[in-house]
Amino acid sequence: MKLITAVLLVLVLAACSSSDKTRQPNKIAIVVSTLNNPWFVFLAETAAKKAKELGYESKIFDSQNNTALESDHFENAIAAGYDAILFNPTDAAGSVASVTKAKKAGVAVFCMDREINSKDAAASQILSDSYSACIELGKLFVKSLNQKGNYVELLGIVSDNNTWNRSKGFHSVVDNYPGLKMVAQQSADFDRNKAMEVMESILQAHPDIDGVFCGNDAMAMGAYQALVAAGKADKVKVYGFDGAEDAINSIKEGKLTATAMQFPKVIAELAATYADEFFKGKTDFPKKLPIPVEVVTTENIDKFIAYGKKD
Amino acid sequence: MSISKYRSTLTKFQSSIALFLLCLALSLLSDKFLTVDNGWNVLRQISVNICISVGMTLVVLTAGIDLSVGSMLALSGAIAAGLLKFGIELPDNDLYIGFTILGTIVTGILTGSALGFFNGWVITKFKVPPFVATLAMLTIARGLTMLWTKGYPISSLGNEFGYIGTGWFLGIPVLVWIAAIIIAASIILTNKTSLGRYIYAIGGNENASRLSGININKVKIIVYTIAGALAAVGGIMVTSRLDSAQPNAGMSYELDSIAAVVIGGTSLSGGRGTIMGTVLGAIIIGVLNNGLVLLDVSPFWQQVVKGFVILLAVIIDKVNSKAE
Repeated sequence: MKLITAVLLVLVLAACSSSDKTRQPNKIAIVVSTLNNPWFVFLAETAAKKAKELGYESKIFDSQNNTALESDHFENAIAAGYDAILFNPTDAAGSVASVTKAKKAGVAVFCMDREINSKDAAASQILSDSYSACIELGKLFVKSLNQKGNYVELLGIVSDNNTWNRSKGFHSVVDNYPGLKMVAQQSADFDRNKAMEVMESILQAHPDIDGVFCGNDAMAMGAYQALVAAGKADKVKVYGFDGAEDAINSIKEGKLTATAMQFPKVIAELAATYADEFFKGKTDFPKKLPIPVEVVTTENIDKFIAYGKKD
Repeated sequence: MSISKYRSTLTKFQSSIALFLLCLALSLLSDKFLTVDNGWNVLRQISVNICISVGMTLVVLTAGIDLSVGSMLALSGAIAAGLLKFGIELPDNDLYIGFTILGTIVTGILTGSALGFFNGWVITKFKVPPFVATLAMLTIARGLTMLWTKGYPISSLGNEFGYIGTGWFLGIPVLVWIAAIIIAASIILTNKTSLGRYIYAIGGNENASRLSGININKVKIIVYTIAGALAAVGGIMVTSRLDSAQPNAGMSYELDSIAAVVIGGTSLSGGRGTIMGTVLGAIIIGVLNNGLVLLDVSPFWQQVVKGFVILLAVIIDKVNSKAE
């Protein structure tokens, strides 16, 4: 019985793949670190949309924040005859091997948003610089608190390198001001519910705080709700990161103080365009192309929409 | 009183004693812990886990397990939020169906019940081990949540819907009322009804129960359906509290709820355990989460500490049940 099933399965697979033999048009694989976060969903979908506009078939692969799974996706994409990979790496160091493998197989890899620790494995890296963005947010944070007060930091998933890039960028500025005291630093896993719970508890221990710095917008929303419930929302400045829809709306309504807008649309569309140019024969792409992150506040909010600028 | 009697009293109250010691230690370490405000805080925070864990307890009592509670919670919450915010539009027929708050809540709970029923059906009909069947449901329901939400949160659901998650009734948070009602109902179910007796009997000895004429499949299907329905109630609670249905809501909630069940002294091999034990287990986890943040323990250490508490609880339980 098992043997028959296995044979049938192989036959079905063979039938599926053999019909592909005659393909000519180039195909694009889109490998993203996770689809469990709206920001990456937007990145992947925008890349797929742009690829389609340019006339290419594309498929999205979800690495679920797991470099091993990511490596499997690369192997499958190479075997399935994809010609380019638009790639959002799971880990700067752990993803290099996969990219090198693709390069050897003649598949061009274009990194989106996050960097890999290799100068020449990827055809190009279009990067969003979390670290510098958090330096800018840090400066604004210092200013909005008049250089003194107690604040709380909510970290993302502690095993995620983005968590620490953001935190380090922020602290590289804020730690220079002795008047600013971090009374609690806790992880809320980039999660809105966890952020609300953690913030509720922190507020018990430290009822007098002036600011909250959060590693992403979902946590900023959760922290804000905890502050509302405690009747302290007016007094505390809440900072997020990403430029998600909820956060943009909240800044518009004067609830959150600021967030950092990354430009996933720009990044994804550029990556797809590069792939198009690669198929047409271009080989000299900028090895690293940083896409500046902009700080969004009530003052410039009118220029922004979720995940980008107004056209 | 003989030593063995001492021992059995101690076993009976081991969770209460552990909770008392934990609270005592935290009150000594932080003057912010033992306050009315913080008490409500902890109770609100654990109310969702209690709902899920009550369902989990019933499942575990039948010697089963339900790994899909977090995903069922996410899907039910997302469906309720989506229907409330957008209704159902059928442009082809020029039809729009709007939903009242009650309508969305009922639909959400029906969703969870249907998923739970499916779990029970697969487990009893095809003899799929519960671990595998619900593991499959874990990814199925998560995938359906992604499809329904398209990967984005559904937010701004309005103040009326938010009342469930943030409101107070007779001086007690609505979330705590819901948890209390579910606890009371499930205690009656397990102690006073024939269904409750069957649940314990099946977990104790499935073959003997079958021979004594209990319709095992029916009981199991009911139990998994209840677990799904309670996960859905949890989903409504979380969604209302956050004013947003998050596509990744309920991630790893199955672990928290299994931890609550186990710390509460329910045996994973079935037949032994109580709802009150689980409630105490959930409170212990909630107090621990709250206390570790109050003391500003590093997030790395928090994970280690929580793991050891679970381990300790199970070891004490093992030692005691051997002594019996």
